Amino acid sequence: MIPGEIIWEQEMRVPNTVVVDGKTYATVLGMVREDRFIPLELVYRPKPGDNLVGVVTDVRHSGYSVDINLPHGGFISSKFTRVSFKQGDLIFGRIKFADEVGNVDITDAKRLPAGKLVDVPASKVPRIIGKKSSMLNVVRDGTGCSIFVGNNGYIWIGGKGNLQLALKTLDFIIENAHKHGLTDKVAEYLNEQGGNVTVPPREEAAPAAPAPTEERAPEPAEVSGLGAPVEETPDPAKEPITEDPAQVSEGEPVVEPPRAEAPEESDNPLMKGGSGIPEKKDKIDVDEM
Amino acid sequence: MEKPELIKDGKRLDGRGPKDLRSVRIEAGVLKEAQGSALVEWGGNKVIAGVYGPRECIPKHGADPYKAKLKVRYMMTPFCSKGEHSRSGPNRRSIEISKVMREAFEPVVMTKNFPRSQIEVYVEVIQAEGGTRVASLTAAAVALADAGIPMTDMVSAIAVGKLDGQLVVDLGKDEDNYGESDVPMAITHRDKQIVLLQMDGLLTREELAQSLDDGIEGADKVYELQAEALKKSYEKEERGKLNL
Amino acid sequence: MGEETKTKILREVRKDFLQELLAKGKRFDERELNEWRPVNVDKGVLPNAEGSALGEIGGTKVLAAVKFDVMTPFSDRPEEGVFMTGAEFVPFASPEFEAGPPRENAIEFARVVDRGIRSSEVINVKNFFIEEGKVLGLFLDLWVLDNTGNLMDTGALAACAALLDAKVPKIEDGKLIREESSGGLNMKYKPLNTSFIKVGNKFLMDPSKDEEYARDLRFTIGSVEGLITSIQKSGDSGLSKDDVMNLVDIAFEKSDELRKYL
Repeated sequence: MIPGEIIWEQEMRVPNTVVVDGKTYATVLGMVREDRFIPLELVYRPKPGDNLVGVVTDVRHSGYSVDINLPHGGFISSKFTRVSFKQGDLIFGRIKFADEVGNVDITDAKRLPAGKLVDVPASKVPRIIGKKSSMLNVVRDGTGCSIFVGNNGYIWIGGKGNLQLALKTLDFIIENAHKHGLTDKVAEYLNEQGGNVTVPPREEAAPAAPAPTEERAPEPAEVSGLGAPVEETPDPAKEPITEDPAQVSEGEPVVEPPRAEAPEESDNPLMKGGSGIPEKKDKIDVDEM
Repeated sequence: MEKPELIKDGKRLDGRGPKDLRSVRIEAGVLKEAQGSALVEWGGNKVIAGVYGPRECIPKHGADPYKAKLKVRYMMTPFCSKGEHSRSGPNRRSIEISKVMREAFEPVVMTKNFPRSQIEVYVEVIQAEGGTRVASLTAAAVALADAGIPMTDMVSAIAVGKLDGQLVVDLGKDEDNYGESDVPMAITHRDKQIVLLQMDGLLTREELAQSLDDGIEGADKVYELQAEALKKSYEKEERGKLNL
Repeated sequence: MGEETKTKILREVRKDFLQELLAKGKRFDERELNEWRPVNVDKGVLPNAEGSALGEIGGTKVLAAVKFDVMTPFSDRPEEGVFMTGAEFVPFASPEFEAGPPRENAIEFARVVDRGIRSSEVINVKNFFIEEGKVLGLFLDLWVLDNTGNLMDTGALAACAALLDAKVPKIEDGKLIREESSGGLNMKYKPLNTSFIKVGNKFLMDPSKDEEYARDLRFTIGSVEGLITSIQKSGDSGLSKDDVMNLVDIAFEKSDELRKYL
């Protein structure tokens, strides 16, 4: 599908489409799989619950300005955080609120230790995370790196693993994002490149799931909830540990994001989470159309 | 130079029939850094388009509170023509073309989704052989789609001209020089809206109507190539390969 | 928050981490400290120009074009032709490039590539005299299409390839006959650049954009077979004589590797 191409002969109010004379047309490149329109290229629009990786660019009395790789900056209000940040800190947080213009309030912000900041197209992020973080876990296992993925397209890679391999693997996922069975291909790739990874048996592909009826539950983008090895945590010698419980600290999983029950999806959604899943019963404002 | 016979036995100088396009090659995703990109080789024209956005509006006070600002820049390189080396930088012609190109995209690019930001489209003509604006517009549309910028419809461009009293589609360089009229246009695919239309020369009312019909038909052929290029860009081994 | 301030902060963030990595002798892409990324040269890509080439190192792409024109000589050198180099950082080549007249980086880029070629004397402007008041002008344009790091070396590579590809038009009655050629430029050498960056106390060759983010200085050496033709140090830091001599030795060796693509 390319912009302007007809998807359905009837009116379907789903994201990334436009309805003209009762018919539904694509507005971005995408493909139709199992009655869903899956965008392949997409401009990311911030939504509450999404995860972000960002860089603190300004410290003010009221809070912290954060570069989040979007037209408008993010902001961590002092009211919502007990952690203090300094300019240049890398952070991982969650969107609390995004206004219609695109200004973003960030909550649950944690400081990340020194690591490699990578930017990737935000449209590929769901694929990098995979179903229930399956892809991310494979990359993490295969490289030994700690990885945080923001829906905004910023990715932080650190820890003691094979950074170069992690970078190559991200490129591989991005180049092949449109392909079926990508998790297996990535595992194979990692093994070829000297990584060591076993792929957990894939769950039965669920039948086309009914569309979620309410706002998508936040999909945790990282990693560590599933037993991050202790050595992935920041080196305390390099990263001063404060008493603050919100601070990333040694011996704990790096981040324990709320693992909300996301609705089961069918296999191979190129867009897991994100605005790629048609939320058919959602009210969509006129601008979206 | 004397004016050559432009149409002979229903064939044009390069052997084309009246409604035939020159050979057109379109590739999407030809650059690594640009968010979206496209190469269009159209006869002897070669143009590259690159897109960024939506991103922070610069300067900030120029931002539109209701929609993204669309910025389009069309440029001819100083080395693009067969003749003399020219000055680089914008001139009156390129500024006008940039403006009408921008206005061709305003109706389809969903700028209201991204208030206070800007979407930038840059087109460089690295080789010119007549019809650079329609080649540029065609490339820009593919680059916008490749960048994931939402559009309600695709835009395709074509020119129709008059040679020796006969209407023909897609004027080549020599035809452009000797032709009696030139009508470049851009057409949305679904609604057949005319989003760019310019004209010079002399045409009757009937000839203009016929030009538009022929142009809409020609734009459909361009659309097929744009669609194919966008779909193919996913089969590509590596993004950012530029085959000039 | 201006784009510039943001870039500076991001630069610092990336720099700290790269320094740590380099201390262990590693680069982001597993290369040796002195190793080229994949190189590609396509000559003759623009039939309208008298010479052209697309040069690529890593993902960086520079399009070089050569055009000839008949022009009036400079008044202080009435019997010499003219060689001029221009450059454009096309705004789509990098999210950091902005539209507008060339800024200092683009001007430096054009001048450094120009110096390497000019000093090597591969273009003999004395041969460009046509008749009283008329000389041949050679315009070399460098169009940066994609910047993933190390423009200096990619620019010089594309420039050299375009000059090797160039056909000098025939001149009759003081006018160019572009359809006919009187031959190539007969270049004695192949001038190329080899650039290094210093990060902490380490030097590495052919920096990628990520690595350039972290650089303290850049050092570009223009060379032909066994001779230095130009040098440019840029960035806010210094280096020792030993450093310079070491880099020259590496540049001689590594630019020969690049010459094989021409």
